[in-house]
Amino acid sequence: MILVARLLPTCQEMSKLLSDALDRRLPWHIRTRMFVHLRMCVLCEQYRRQLALLRRLLRLKNDSHSAGVQVSQAGLSDEAKERIRRALDSAPSSRNSF
Amino acid sequence: MDEVVGPDSRRWIDEHGDYLYRFALVRVYDSNVAEDLVQDTFLAALQGTRRESGPTAERRWMVGIIKHKIVDHFRRMAREPLHDDSRSDVPARDDDFLADGHWKPGVRESRGWPDNPDALLEQRQFWSVLACCLDKLPPRAAQVFTLREIDEMDTEEICRLLHLTQTNFGVMLHRARKQLRNCLSTRYFGRTEEAVQS
Repeated sequence: MILVARLLPTCQEMSKLLSDALDRRLPWHIRTRMFVHLRMCVLCEQYRRQLALLRRLLRLKNDSHSAGVQVSQAGLSDEAKERIRRALDSAPSSRNSF
Repeated sequence: MDEVVGPDSRRWIDEHGDYLYRFALVRVYDSNVAEDLVQDTFLAALQGTRRESGPTAERRWMVGIIKHKIVDHFRRMAREPLHDDSRSDVPARDDDFLADGHWKPGVRESRGWPDNPDALLEQRQFWSVLACCLDKLPPRAAQVFTLREIDEMDTEEICRLLHLTQTNFGVMLHRARKQLRNCLSTRYFGRTEEAVQS
């Protein structure tokens, strides 16, 4: 049993591998060792489910809301708004050329 | 042609300016560039015509434009040498684990997450907590996470556009995901466990 455990990734390694698996296909021998670890370790299995939930949530949110997820609370400064306003006022437009 | 440009575009700044700025900022990670992208978006919108009507369609139309502007920006950046500061986002040690590689107590107790995303999807509070948690990530990690998980871009494309090696990319996303999970566990699921489970 100890020998088997030595061949398997640690939880710390698993957390990185579970993330990697969301971005690329891992080699089969790594996937096999991850599979065995997940069968024996509730904490890593819990982590795997949480990452999967996060991904599914963001995908669903993207599908249901036209503009997707709002991820920051910053805003344009007044100076920037004024600058943009001036740029727009002086811009040629296809709509006001009668 | 009864549509006048001035008032229309002024309304855009108030209605969509902050939103588009936030949208760009988290992706390009530079406030000056983000401001310029918002301006370019409105300028492009002035030249274009929108097919659908209504405020939601207008927002969607503008987001579509700024997405293209952001990719153009990355393409321009990809031609210039870039100072790679991604390493500074990566601490040498991982505080969530014990020396033997096991989860630390405390990080372990990450309960209260539902299996089904549907219940969470409409919880406004969840999304505002998620926004706070994303704000706390190192800017580069937030940028890579946003491009990957929110814009659903390919790993290869992100690495190419941002000059990242696949190793750096993997490390940043791993840190971002774990930090987000921990943040959501403490700030949302830990507190509102009974409210979420229905």
